[in-house]
Amino acid sequence: MDKRWILGAAAAAFFCVLSVPAVAAPADRYLHVQVSDSGNKGEDVNVNLPLSVAEKVLPTIDRGPLHQGRVMLDRDQLKGIDMPTILEAIRNSPDNKLVTVKDKDGENIDISKADGKIVVHVNEPGKKGDNVNVTVPIAVVDALFSTAQKNEINVAAALQALDNAGDSFLVTVENTSEHVRVWVDSHNQPQ
Amino acid sequence: MILLGKIALGMAGFAVAGAGLLCSEGFVDVNVVQHRDSPPHIHVIAPALLAPIAVRLVPNDKLGEASEKLQPWLPTVRAALDGLRDSPDMTLVEVSDPNEYVHVEKRYGDIVVDIANREETVHVSVPIRAIHSTVDALADVSPENTNSD
Repeated sequence: MDKRWILGAAAAAFFCVLSVPAVAAPADRYLHVQVSDSGNKGEDVNVNLPLSVAEKVLPTIDRGPLHQGRVMLDRDQLKGIDMPTILEAIRNSPDNKLVTVKDKDGENIDISKADGKIVVHVNEPGKKGDNVNVTVPIAVVDALFSTAQKNEINVAAALQALDNAGDSFLVTVENTSEHVRVWVDSHNQPQ
Repeated sequence: MILLGKIALGMAGFAVAGAGLLCSEGFVDVNVVQHRDSPPHIHVIAPALLAPIAVRLVPNDKLGEASEKLQPWLPTVRAALDGLRDSPDMTLVEVSDPNEYVHVEKRYGDIVVDIANREETVHVSVPIRAIHSTVDALADVSPENTNSD
C-alpha cells in the first residue's frame, strides 16, 4: 500500500512538473527597413536586423563621433536646451498637437503627442513632394537624450528602449515613386 | 592475422575521427556560374576547418595589412558574428533591381550570399563558426612579424 502511495505521488509530481508552463523567454525583436522604388531604378531593398545584434554591435564601434554607443555632439549643439525638462513637459502633457509649421511653399510640418509617442508629419507639396511620418515612443526619445547633459546622444540606450517598446512603425516616407518604411516588430521577416 | 585486423581497425578509426574533425566546422560552398561566352562553372565545396588553417599558413607579410585594418573592427565583427549565431534563420538583406538580385541570409548556422545578374550567378555559403575562426586567425597575424618594406 505504501509503495502504491509513493508511486502515485511520484507520478503526480512528474505530471505536475510537465504541466507547469516554461517561463517564456522574451521574444526577439527585429528592425526592418523596406525601400521600394517603382520609378526608373525599380529597386527594392529589404533589411531585417535582430535588435539584439544591433545592441551588441553598437557599443563596440569606436569611430568618429560614435563611442560606446553614444554620439558626441559638437559643443554648442545642445547648449541652452534643457532636453530633460522639455521631455518631462511633453510626457506630462495631454495628447495634443505641439507644433504646426506651414511655409509659403506649402510645406506642412506637424509635431504632436499621441499614445505615448511623438509623431512628426512632414508634407511637401507637388507631385514629387515627400510625405514623411516619423513616430517615436517617448521612452526612446528619453533614452536618446538621457546623456544630453554630457553633450551626447545615447543611441545604444535608445535601441534598448526600442527593444522594450511595442511593435511600431518608426518612419514612413512616401512619394509618387518611392516608399520607405522602417519599423520594429517580433517577426524576423517582413509581414 | 589478429594483429593485422587490429591495425586495420585502428586505421579505420583514425580515418573516421579525422573525417569527423575535418567536417566539424561544416563546409564552405562556392558556386559561380557565368552566363556569357563559354561559361566556366566553378563549384568548390571545402571543409570550413581549412579556412583558418589556410590563413595561418599564409606568410605574415602577405596578411599584415589586412590584419592591421581588421584590428580596430575586431570587437565589432566578433559581436556581430556572436549576435548572428544566436539569432534565428532569417533573410538579412535583399536587394533587387531589374539587373541584379542580391540576397544575404542566415540559414542553419551559415551565412548564405546569393547574387544573380546577367553575367553570373554566385552562391556562397560559409558557416558562421568558420568566419569567426578565420577572423581570429587573421587577427593573430602580428604586425611586428610582417615585412612592411
